[in-house]
Amino acid sequence: MKSTQYSEKVLDHFRNPRNTGTLEGENVAVGRVGNPTCGDLMEIYIDVKDDTINDIKFKTFGCGSAIATASMVTELAKGKTLDEAEKITRGDVAHELDGLPPVKMHCSNLAADALKDAIRNYREKGKQPSAANDEAASGTEPIEGEKEFAGKGVYYHFSDPVQFIDKRVMVLWEQPKPLEQVLELTKYTPRVILVTQLKDIPVSEELKNKLTGANIKILSQAKLLKISGFNEVEKVLMQNLAEDEQYELFVDAVLIL
Amino acid sequence: MGSYLDYQSARPVDPRVVVAMLPYFSEKFGNASSLHLVGDEATRDLEDARKTVAGFINAEPEEIIFTSGATESNNLALIGYAMRNRERGNHIIISEVEHISIHNIVKFLEKNGFIVSKVPVDQYGRVSVKKIADRIIGKTMLISVGYASNEIGTVQPVAEIGRLCRERNIAFHTDAVAAEGLLPLDVKRDSIDMLTLSSNDMYGPRGVGALFVRKGVKINPLIIGGGQENGLRSGTENVAGTIGMKAAVELMQQEMYDEVTRMKGFRDTLIERIPKLIPGTHLNGHPTERLPNNAHFRFDGIEGESLLLSLKDKDISISTGSACSSKTLEPSHTLISCGLLHEEAHGSLQVTVGRFTTQNDIDSLISALPQVVERLRTLSPLYNRKEGDRS
Repeated sequence: MKSTQYSEKVLDHFRNPRNTGTLEGENVAVGRVGNPTCGDLMEIYIDVKDDTINDIKFKTFGCGSAIATASMVTELAKGKTLDEAEKITRGDVAHELDGLPPVKMHCSNLAADALKDAIRNYREKGKQPSAANDEAASGTEPIEGEKEFAGKGVYYHFSDPVQFIDKRVMVLWEQPKPLEQVLELTKYTPRVILVTQLKDIPVSEELKNKLTGANIKILSQAKLLKISGFNEVEKVLMQNLAEDEQYELFVDAVLIL
Repeated sequence: MGSYLDYQSARPVDPRVVVAMLPYFSEKFGNASSLHLVGDEATRDLEDARKTVAGFINAEPEEIIFTSGATESNNLALIGYAMRNRERGNHIIISEVEHISIHNIVKFLEKNGFIVSKVPVDQYGRVSVKKIADRIIGKTMLISVGYASNEIGTVQPVAEIGRLCRERNIAFHTDAVAAEGLLPLDVKRDSIDMLTLSSNDMYGPRGVGALFVRKGVKINPLIIGGGQENGLRSGTENVAGTIGMKAAVELMQQEMYDEVTRMKGFRDTLIERIPKLIPGTHLNGHPTERLPNNAHFRFDGIEGESLLLSLKDKDISISTGSACSSKTLEPSHTLISCGLLHEEAHGSLQVTVGRFTTQNDIDSLISALPQVVERLRTLSPLYNRKEGDRS
């Protein structure tokens, strides 16, 4: 079966998704699963009243079945108690949609997981937020190939910007290094990727808007494992900290701040 | 059929080609290997076709081997050359952005004792001749770089690579399928030793292709049998198919100039208008060194398969570089090689126009695309966040 061979029900939910958008308020919790790196990112918002899902909304970046499964899970969960809603499985969602192409069963059937995540987050509300996110960023292990390519694409300073002209530059950033010089870099090249092990970059909205406005791509929850190339930097091996997966990216320079 | 904007995937056979082929199924059914009159006629027609195809790329007729298509031609070129010339070395260089057939053929050669280097490309998908030169070692025997990317349309510096190979006495193969009928091909000008052609990409029938092998370059056959095609490709000749390829090439020779001008007009309209109509649009591939029929975009915050499905609902047939529409769920290797992040590769849209594309097809896409992208962006958690708090 082709990956786009969908049931009429999937197509209906894709064309007319139910319960799209976001929710706000005291009784709202968000579940977030997936990673744009893998092509799917799903957010489910639940508004809980008397232990029951009073309202539910979703946002999805992903393929047709990712949108349809999110839409379906909101329909299934609405009005259910948290205990009932928690029991909704990936299989239930696929079944209600009259099936999904086999190749899509895993990758884009994240909706039930996102719902579970939202319920968990709701229940943990009020408890202290865990510090797990920050722990990931601490501890600097050596990067394979870093020394070998020093001066051949691996740089530690921004003193000679000419070497970055029109290059694909990956910037490794750690707190509390200033981000302003990353902005400066975009004067020399249109392609800057900012890498952080954190889930998000903890800076002001204003600075963040400046970064995205300058077309700087932010790669979060990512860790550089290895630099490789032939005489000079050509590609990097990255670790996706959210999903414990590795992937390659092609760059011309790595700037380690 | 709605608007078909996916000429890269498949082209219709030109009705005039079909007319040229028809007599060769029943009336002129001869076997070119037979010695009688019916056979002689088939031989003559086959050799005519060989002359025409050779002329199209400035080669000699005896340098053309007819095959079952581009994949076979690529196999014959790479495996046939590597196996025949082991004493010249065991190192092969290709680029990162080759067609999947080349990538898989060199994987096979790696299992058979060859060492393969893959040269990266810049952010526009262009390979650097210097980077190729840096990788050449004493044992380098073969370099294969596609003439142009069938996906993002970037044209490679083929003449420079050819010159480099000639200087270093290394065989140079190029898969020219993406460029045939779009750019003037000349094996002498570009110092090419082997070149792959397909019939369908010039509106001829599928199941026919050719490999140019320069006189003096020795290869082994892959298909052994009755010794047809100078012993390099056995099997009774596909005369009807070959006549179809000949007819397709002849039409191309007459019409290519006007056709390319028209396609460039469509392409440039798309490249100029779509980014203006849709903010957060980026052009993939080279801004100038690109095929006249290719416009390749990516849109921030959305995914390609859902884009493709939405356009399908509007009767527009089109391709994406997204993993989610592929069998393997891997994003396009070409886009990743250009340095795109996976989420960016996922948001790609590939437009390829051709002989039968109309202004109507282009207008349909331009009018449908903005609202389709907008709808998917309102569903996307990536776009709103990026634009600040707009939700």
